[in-house]
Amino acid sequence: MVKKYAINLTVNGINYEKEVEARKLLVDFIREDIGLTGTHIGCEHGQCGACTVVFNGKSLKSCLMFAVQADGAEILTVEGLAKDEKLHPIQEAFWENHGLQCGYCTPGVLMSSYVLLKENPQPSEEDIREGISGNICRCTGYVNIVKAIKEASKKIEGAGI
Amino acid sequence: MNFDGNFKFNAPREKVWKFFMNPDMLAKCLPGCEKLEAKGENSYEAIVKIGISVVKGEYSGKVELKDIVTPSHYRLVGEGGGLSGFVKGEVTMDLEEESDKTIVKWKSVAQIGGLIAGVGQRMLSGVAKILTNQFFKDMEKELTKEESL
Amino acid sequence: MKPFSFEYFKPNNIDEAISLLNGYGEDAVILAGGQSLIPLMNLRLARPKYIIDINKIAELSYIKDTNGGLSIGALTRHREIEKSDIIKSKYPILSKTVSLIGNPQIRNWGTIGGSISHADPAGELPTLLLALNGKVKVVGNQGEREIDGDDLFLGYLTTSMEKTEILREVYIPEISPKMGWEFVELTKRSHDFAIVSVAVLMSIDNAGKCNDVRISLGGVGSMPVRAKGAEEFLLDKAINDDSINEAANIASEEAEPESDIHASAKYRKEMVKVFVNRGLISALDRVRG
Repeated sequence: MVKKYAINLTVNGINYEKEVEARKLLVDFIREDIGLTGTHIGCEHGQCGACTVVFNGKSLKSCLMFAVQADGAEILTVEGLAKDEKLHPIQEAFWENHGLQCGYCTPGVLMSSYVLLKENPQPSEEDIREGISGNICRCTGYVNIVKAIKEASKKIEGAGI
Repeated sequence: MNFDGNFKFNAPREKVWKFFMNPDMLAKCLPGCEKLEAKGENSYEAIVKIGISVVKGEYSGKVELKDIVTPSHYRLVGEGGGLSGFVKGEVTMDLEEESDKTIVKWKSVAQIGGLIAGVGQRMLSGVAKILTNQFFKDMEKELTKEESL
Repeated sequence: MKPFSFEYFKPNNIDEAISLLNGYGEDAVILAGGQSLIPLMNLRLARPKYIIDINKIAELSYIKDTNGGLSIGALTRHREIEKSDIIKSKYPILSKTVSLIGNPQIRNWGTIGGSISHADPAGELPTLLLALNGKVKVVGNQGEREIDGDDLFLGYLTTSMEKTEILREVYIPEISPKMGWEFVELTKRSHDFAIVSVAVLMSIDNAGKCNDVRISLGGVGSMPVRAKGAEEFLLDKAINDDSINEAANIASEEAEPESDIHASAKYRKEMVKVFVNRGLISALDRVRG
């Protein structure tokens, strides 16, 4: 029997008590044990950023943490952005500005954008590009992603969030 | 990957040649060598455990000695691998006399593949140099030990 | 890939951590930010049997501006260093260097202790530590000891720390506000591993001659190095385009980089010249500025 470790954490506002193997990656825990497959696995070694989530308020590549380390944590995934069937302004902005094509990198990009805009509500283009530098996109060339984030910052300001 | 170099031993060529042909001596000096067995004439199998800090791996391989010209020249042809990658290549070894000393010159060509080649690429040739240096230094230590017996 | 199985420990304090390290020896590894270790484990290049997670040891995270220097706890995240006002004002070269590390996610979790003990030859912090004449405080079964930056890095991913020691603190001696400085690096894409990186600190006396200069090079071998020949050349000399060019030449000649898939040794040597040049010019601007 492989040793299991008990963890207790909150994901998108819901509390979970689970048992995990030490080697289970947080991204796999989120996808398999919680059933939230919005967070994607691209490279599994911290290069692509598709697995980015928000962990205790900070952006984290969830393939670079073991689930067992997340005991007591508060995690926000892409599924936690929309509220009551209404898209988050960042999601709206990405939709309206064609900020995604295949969508594989998108959850990670959205979470990085979420954190970026919380820390820097009026980012310059340079700030934005730096803010998403941990996320690789193979489709868009980043231009519409940057545009979407700029638009999102205006939406958020307008909504007074 | 190409890797050439030379090393000077303070011993006559006959002696150095004997050392390089002795599998027990090679097993002793090859960094991380756990096992070196003769499998036939001029053919060996080896198991080597190599690690730099947390990056550790076990590799098994086969090596054959060809084109042997005692006591000055031979060619090693080998291949091996482990979980993290594989290696296939050859080394030409030339032993030259310099009065009562010996200069061993080697020329190697290797194909390295797998994870260690991809992820570890920027450290590969440096690590290869370090391991090779260690091997030659250990061979020299053993030679010196024998001299003083 | 997924990592091999291991047993996981989360000690409450540093004594517990050391005790675990000693107990499990060779097969145990310290987990701090995990931004270097976990990729290696996911690729199965590293297969430790025991992981000692030190993230609970809060007393290892601090930034203290003391008399004569800066003490940074090993668990301090790159992001905290980047945002620190004290560091921005008194150790701006450290602010800039840390902002060049990886990307936001990596800076959120990566730690100064982890980065330095990982000893990647292209790592920004090991390179900077040498230029700052910094040292580390490590603690083990035998107690605590200090290791000078010069004596710390031995080669690829290898430091002079014992396997049963934990890096506890990084100490940086005070930098005079009159010192010029720069940290520059050459990367293929922004935030990639440095092909060549250069840290420069320099001060000039009232007669316009250089009285202190440190040039540290990263990415040019199995560990970061000080360009000692270039430094010696510049001491007591007037700093101008000519002396800067000559120093850059010397640094380039001294450097012995390897070739790899990213850059040939020849190209690296040439880039040492270019970036030492840029570093010195920028540092000089700051001295005058």
